[in-house]
Amino acid sequence: MIRLAADALGWAAGGRFVLVDVDLALPAGSLTVLTGENGAGKSTLLDVLSGNRTPARGVVKLDGVPLAEIEPAHLARRIARLDHAPGLYLELTAQENVQLFRALLHAERGDFDVAAVLDQVGLDRREQTRPVRSFSRGMLQRTAIARVLASQADVWLLDEPSTGLDRAGCDLLAGLLGDARDRGVTLLLATHDPALLPLADRHLHLRHGHLVPSEVG
Amino acid sequence: MLWRLTWLLLQKDLRVASRSREVFGFMLLFALLCVVVFAFSFLREGEAAAAQVPGVLWVTLLFSGTVGLLRLFAAEEEGGALALVQRTRAGPHPLLLSKALLQLLFSGVTTLLLLPVVLVFFDARLAHPGLVLTALALGLVGQSVLGALVAALLVHVRLREVLLPLVLYPLLAPLLIAGVRITALTQAGAPAEALDGWLGLMLGYDALVLVAAPWLHARVVEP
Repeated sequence: MIRLAADALGWAAGGRFVLVDVDLALPAGSLTVLTGENGAGKSTLLDVLSGNRTPARGVVKLDGVPLAEIEPAHLARRIARLDHAPGLYLELTAQENVQLFRALLHAERGDFDVAAVLDQVGLDRREQTRPVRSFSRGMLQRTAIARVLASQADVWLLDEPSTGLDRAGCDLLAGLLGDARDRGVTLLLATHDPALLPLADRHLHLRHGHLVPSEVG
Repeated sequence: MLWRLTWLLLQKDLRVASRSREVFGFMLLFALLCVVVFAFSFLREGEAAAAQVPGVLWVTLLFSGTVGLLRLFAAEEEGGALALVQRTRAGPHPLLLSKALLQLLFSGVTTLLLLPVVLVFFDARLAHPGLVLTALALGLVGQSVLGALVAALLVHVRLREVLLPLVLYPLLAPLLIAGVRITALTQAGAPAEALDGWLGLMLGYDALVLVAAPWLHARVVEP
């Protein structure tokens, strides 16, 4: 079953097309790695696929429904996004950040174990209750990954997810991504990190705005 | 739902403000500094110029409010959280509302602390303090909502520190003029009925801003 699909996508900036006739079909429970040179348009493609940018041409569909027809709040619950910036409030603790974004996405006030999610990304309980302003880049990234985990979205669009992570963090990330895929989450990773390529079911390369398939691994 | 999400975001803003301790303190300090500078500037033969109170009070609140508005979205910008919050269930309305309420809270407390200081420094009295407080409340509501809107619209603009006052001050002119007139008439001992027209203007202005600002904000932040 195709979870997220793009058909003849085009997006232009400054008079030139960044994305040209991009066709993409991401099956449910798959992990796709997207590579490309700096400025190739990887982040732009993730923006368009998540509904953050409206394409100049073409259409993006989630479960066969165009994104434009999906209520934004529902779309935010379905598609989780990890950007270059961590997307956190620096004065809040890791627990408060994850709790806040979880509450902004989901109406229910049930007992969601935020600490357990932060345990999963390798932040100990003392670190979890510190304002994230004091965190290193890698710890911020772990908190941002925890935010994605807590969203319980079924599509993850991750831009350079291994940014700032140490070796142990990269291994932990690989485990989390694999687990998510096994749970049926659809993942698209834009990355320059070759260590993430072996995880991929499919490897796509963005060159001059065109998407071309590459060999996995 | 709107109010629950607004409260959630406002709680977050208050928590951020209490930990960073950078906005309210600066607003208050800046306001006090303005009053002191104005007080010495308007000294006439050693006597404070009580007639300047309306202008001093409203201009000081406008300036100190601007200090707060320039930092209104700083927490979102620093950690890159703005786009994420806009995409959540909260959407644009609770975000704008929570920011306007935060600004109103800070401006309101600043006003309550500043008003006695201005009256003492300028040796002035108000015939109808209740009416002046009503005018100040109406003025701060308009300034906070419109200010939050302009701050949100300029959040990605490089020269926003310069542009915010340039855009906001002309828009706030009717509110400022009405506020100054009400304070001046009150100080002169005018009957309460003489203020009705000006209070009506402020009320109408606020009603327009409260309807138009969320609508405009939602249109602009749509992808």
